[in-house]
Amino acid sequence: MKHIKKLLLIGNFILGLGLLPGLAQAAPSDFLVSTDWLEKNIKDTKLRLIEVSVNPGLFERGHIPGAVNFKWHTDLVDPVRRDIVSKDNFESLLRKAGVSEGNTIVLYGDTNNWFAAWGAWVFDIYGVQNVKLLDGGRKKWEAEGRPLTARAAVPAAGNIKVSAANTALRARLGDVVAAAEKKTDVALVDIRSADEYNGKVFAPAGVQELSIRAGHIPGAVNVVWSQAVAADGTFKSVEELKKLYAAAGIDGSKPIITYCRIGERSSHTWFALTKLLGYEVRNYDGSWTEYGNTVGVPINNPAGTVWGAT
Amino acid sequence: MASLALPPAQRLATSAVVLIATVLFARSLGSIPEGGRELALSALLGLAFGVFLQRSRFCFFCVSRDFMENRDARGLLGIVAALALGILGYHVLFDAFLPIPAPGRMPPEAHVGPLSWVLAAGAFVFGIGMSLSGSCISAHLYRLGEGAIASLFALLGALLGFVLGFASWNTLYLAGIQEAPVVWLPHHLGYAGSVLVQLLALGGIALLLWRHHRATEIPDAADAAGAQSFWERRWPTYVGGLLIAFVAVLSYLRVGPLGVTAELGSIARTGANAMAWLPSRLEGLDTFSGCATVIKETLWSNNGVFILSLVLGSLAAALLAGDFKPRRPSLPEVGRALAGGVLMGWGAMVALGCTIGTLLSGIMAGAASGWVFAVFVGLGLWLGWKARQRLGWM
Repeated sequence: MKHIKKLLLIGNFILGLGLLPGLAQAAPSDFLVSTDWLEKNIKDTKLRLIEVSVNPGLFERGHIPGAVNFKWHTDLVDPVRRDIVSKDNFESLLRKAGVSEGNTIVLYGDTNNWFAAWGAWVFDIYGVQNVKLLDGGRKKWEAEGRPLTARAAVPAAGNIKVSAANTALRARLGDVVAAAEKKTDVALVDIRSADEYNGKVFAPAGVQELSIRAGHIPGAVNVVWSQAVAADGTFKSVEELKKLYAAAGIDGSKPIITYCRIGERSSHTWFALTKLLGYEVRNYDGSWTEYGNTVGVPINNPAGTVWGAT
Repeated sequence: MASLALPPAQRLATSAVVLIATVLFARSLGSIPEGGRELALSALLGLAFGVFLQRSRFCFFCVSRDFMENRDARGLLGIVAALALGILGYHVLFDAFLPIPAPGRMPPEAHVGPLSWVLAAGAFVFGIGMSLSGSCISAHLYRLGEGAIASLFALLGALLGFVLGFASWNTLYLAGIQEAPVVWLPHHLGYAGSVLVQLLALGGIALLLWRHHRATEIPDAADAAGAQSFWERRWPTYVGGLLIAFVAVLSYLRVGPLGVTAELGSIARTGANAMAWLPSRLEGLDTFSGCATVIKETLWSNNGVFILSLVLGSLAAALLAGDFKPRRPSLPEVGRALAGGVLMGWGAMVALGCTIGTLLSGIMAGAASGWVFAVFVGLGLWLGWKARQRLGWM
């Protein structure tokens, strides 16, 4: 055992030398917690557990004990204009959830943490520290038979202060158009299904809000979000992720923009690339519903599907 | 004193076969990944619901007719008992799910619908359809288990009515529903206030019913034979009502509010959609909670297995009690069932539910829409009953 530890230490040292510029890089464990860790630390008074699920009724009928519920459609976005939640509303939301300075925040949710990852992105934009995702989300917690409760907690109000929005984490239409027109050196990652990327369909089945143009942003590579996930819903290892994205030409050598249809699944990939691999990544939350409806922007539509054509 | 002797072996055996088959069906659903637990539970709750409906003759039209014709209020009081217990159970769950009923926050999926003239019209038409066809949709479902072939036509009519409802939805939505308020009593009164006000209202109704109740024991067909065994005698409606309230609360805790029209509506919507009879977008429909109808993508849905097991549960109960008596309906009966079914289908679609989904599950949830439905369904029922009498259709 001692020998192995020693070997690992030496290995780390060598690796560290090789990655000197990345020495300050955080370890994945800084941003992910395991279901096991969570169950052991669930009574920690510094821990704030927040569920962000998209399916209604899930949280209420059974959530991880101590969690509070954030609703993506109303809590984490502006319900009138298309935007993320305002700073004031976000701060009061967090305080109501009992979040104070110095807390560790663990986010989790259904559908492979899609919306929890969106949450992590919004937390990051407002400079909230110590935010982690529960690796594997609800799915893994339930699959392992860990306890749920239907009793919602009402925490005492917290005192957290959030910073002004950090725009460096968020790509806007102009940034994406500039990348598409090769005016900036940015790598675009489209994480939607291959059929959406190739323009065979305008939106996934059962989705009403769609773009009236099909295809993708010119220059974007297609790495479907689910490829970053192992069978049990956890993120793949850093090495596997590196290999996966490098195969598509995404190696962190230049800034990256991730997008999908409405910006929530792409938060999942944003999380993997920025938190686990340490790349410089912006999430484009306007995504295809904004880009594909914008007049006069370049589009690549390999399938050639025409909207409204009979 | 009714005899406690067991029913004949043949009835016992067939009933047991149906019961075991339903339980095995539920068990097989449990192995479906993602949602299998809820499907299995829905099947078991449906089974219990079917047994309770059949044994206690929990039929909104029948108990209303008992009162209107014979001043026998016991059946209606059974419904009041179901509502009272259900209100208590629901509010206990609300307090766990959503500790503070803050404005803008709603408990998940509770059947709290928009208050509009469309709701009133839907309930009214539903009431007429109940009188015309002889019972509401849930009662037709349990009658199916008793072998009532006319009920099959009523349900067929309801499917057609649903299609008409979908076809008229966009117009009605824009004319009356879109701006209609969704009134949830706990938002205005808090949980305690909502319970208090509704229990007082139910108490008032019960008092009124009791005052008009003619205490003479009226032997109806089911209770007449004194020789009936324990197994054959119907349960008092209040017993069924209390058990149904228990099922309603358990269902809301684990799966969702009780309702019997979501699957019918989904089948109608999927079929009509495939035939391109419907507008491609039904405005706002999928944003309301109620007996939600969706285009079917999977074979089994929670509500689908619930009503299938309901029919099987009723069949098992009817077999055991000797109530399973298939009878060929006359042509006029078929016509009335079909026409009544169409009215009920349309009414349930535009009112987002029926006597179970909107009235029972709505009032239990503290929804003003549940009370409005109750008032107008009663009016329609009364008018339909009057018309039936005049036409000699009793």
